[in-house]
Amino acid sequence: MSTVLVVAPLIIANWPVITAAVTAAVGTMGFSVLNRAERERQSVDSRVTRAEIEVEDADILPEASGTCEELVVERDGVRAVFSRDVRGALRVCMEGSGHSKAELKRIGEELIGRVTQQYVYHRVVTELKQRNMAIVNEEVAADRTVKIRVRNW
Amino acid sequence: MAKEELEIEISPTGKVTVRTIGIKGPHCIDAAEMVARIIGTVESKQLTAEFYEAQTEVRQSTDIKQRW
Repeated sequence: MSTVLVVAPLIIANWPVITAAVTAAVGTMGFSVLNRAERERQSVDSRVTRAEIEVEDADILPEASGTCEELVVERDGVRAVFSRDVRGALRVCMEGSGHSKAELKRIGEELIGRVTQQYVYHRVVTELKQRNMAIVNEEVAADRTVKIRVRNW
Repeated sequence: MAKEELEIEISPTGKVTVRTIGIKGPHCIDAAEMVARIIGTVESKQLTAEFYEAQTEVRQSTDIKQRW
């Protein structure tokens, strides 16, 4: 080995790209995406705990007006609302009754990690293919780390 | 000739490690940084022994005798 770089990812994408990354990532954690009807069916519970997380280093590009920039996922009564705030940052609001704020924040941060992983994976693979680099091996380790081996530049 | 490869690890927290394999000399930094630029910003960089090895080039010359 000759060089090892540790890279902090930067998410710069439009809402459809984020939606695709969230949809792919949350499935691996047992969450499912709620449609509008499912969201409205839920009654507002005053005992619900909420935790807000702003994703650092994420810049969501604005879409055409009228586009809904919100995505809701749920698992066992824990809900995560992904949205783009007015400044273009990615925000995740965690909701759930019977959970502490810290617990919801931990789940939310795990979700954000998986979304980032999905985003980075697709960005890397797309860019490398455009540069005619061959992916010679790809595997997912037990801890869910994705390993990609690339050759030829 | 040794295979020149890049290994990219994407952890479930989104942290990325880019490792060069079989690339000697400063060229290895260029290769790793090309991938890093796609992803985000470099947090740390570590150079290992292979970096300091010079890139070797094998030149072969052939004498061609022309026959009349």
